[in-house]
Amino acid sequence: MRLIYRYGWVLRISHWLWALAFAVLVSSGLQIFNASPNLDASDKSNPARRVLAIGAPAQGVGTTTIFGHAFTTTGWLGWTDDGQGSRGVHAFPAWITIPGYQDLAGGRRWHFFFAWIGALCWLAWLISAWWKGSLRNLVLRPSDVPKLWPMQAYYLHLRPEPPEHGLYNPLQKLSYTAILLVIAPFVVLTGLALSPGIDAIANPLTIVLGGRQFARLWHFAGMMLLLGFFAVHVFQVATQGIVNQMRAMITGWYRLDKGETAGP
Amino acid sequence: MKRGLFLASTVSAALTGCGPIANTVANNPTWQKILSSVEPLNHGLIGTRGLARNYSDSAVDTNFRVNGFATPSDSHYLGLVARHFSDYRLIVNGAVERPQAIEYAKLLRMPRQTQTTRHDCVEGWSAIGKWSGVRLGDVLDAVGPRPDARYAVFHCMDNDGSGNLYYESLDMHQAHHPQALLALTLNDAPLDPAHGAPVRLRVPTQLGYKSAKWVGRIELVSSFRSIGSGQGGYWEDQGYEWYAGI
Repeated sequence: MRLIYRYGWVLRISHWLWALAFAVLVSSGLQIFNASPNLDASDKSNPARRVLAIGAPAQGVGTTTIFGHAFTTTGWLGWTDDGQGSRGVHAFPAWITIPGYQDLAGGRRWHFFFAWIGALCWLAWLISAWWKGSLRNLVLRPSDVPKLWPMQAYYLHLRPEPPEHGLYNPLQKLSYTAILLVIAPFVVLTGLALSPGIDAIANPLTIVLGGRQFARLWHFAGMMLLLGFFAVHVFQVATQGIVNQMRAMITGWYRLDKGETAGP
Repeated sequence: MKRGLFLASTVSAALTGCGPIANTVANNPTWQKILSSVEPLNHGLIGTRGLARNYSDSAVDTNFRVNGFATPSDSHYLGLVARHFSDYRLIVNGAVERPQAIEYAKLLRMPRQTQTTRHDCVEGWSAIGKWSGVRLGDVLDAVGPRPDARYAVFHCMDNDGSGNLYYESLDMHQAHHPQALLALTLNDAPLDPAHGAPVRLRVPTQLGYKSAKWVGRIELVSSFRSIGSGQGGYWEDQGYEWYAGI
């Protein structure tokens, strides 16, 4: 057993600030979504191209309609807690939104502030990782691709040993590359495309995404992907030595287990 | 399993605690100032440049969705509607060299700009309309803004039912954007009251709440702090950002 200094201070601070920003961005984003709880695969709003609709067709009934298929979601979506002691026409319930009651203007203020925090954290991490050369350990390379299945097989207990790898295993590289270098910038760009001011400066951005409502749909889908990553990430940390992992992300020091190497 | 239960109960306790804490924080004025601190940054970076996309006529929403309030109730305004705006005047005054009162018939005869642009509501929906009217910059240039004129304030002719008249404002740079329009028609028909008759502002580079309806007077001012609650517009007074480009 050996302790190594694995995470520098920029990485640790940006990780936790990013976690905070992400939580606020999701909650305030759902608040903003609630003001118009539909997602259309179109430029202008178009019910014929509606992918998701959350509503209350009748008093006391909440429904979620995905590609035209309606599901009753009373209490969870559509007809939910309004944050003021009763239920009402509310797409996402007040307990999951910031502020915890209907307030579009407030939700926007939280969202734009923490969007800056999240974006600056991401930039600080990227510059620091590039500067220290640790970005190399993280980025998935063609040579990692043949190792992806053996790594998955190891996770599924179909293989006794993981394939040989550096600081991060091939599946970690795949998910970190996808999240940090593809999906995070995508979520920022799709958010920017919602701004009429930015649309006027950069028409092609909105056009490439399929229009403003489509950008709203992409932005929401990007959030779902980030939430999915978050769930897997928390599960893995919780099941693979939570104390060691948490200590490493707080103090920087990580305990190497047998078979693990400190990297190239 | 016990650890799982402990974790689950800790997380749910933290989540249920979050709402009230967040609400208390949300209403703290200092925290609100901190949150709003990025508005000048957004305004500075995005600003008012470029042009909103012009669409073809086939993209138009023939049944253009009404934003804000749909049924004006102000008695003076309803009188103007009943008389088909024959005695309507667009007043342009304040910090100007030559204040004007422009008759509706004269507005209709002025050089027109037509734009088919998308209206992006702060709520999230979008609609496309074909708007025709007089360029705001031309109207302002005609009255000769004085050097101390920094903002154009649009006083609307309807109130919100509680006696507060709607109003909006643009800075002089935004007011001279080539697509800033005093719209007279929507989809080739004169505006109806729900869409802001007889004159509504169209600012396609900002969110829909900037595009004030029922404009009766344009006042050039050096500061809008003394108007309404001082935030530069009816919706701004309710907490929305003055810079509505985002």
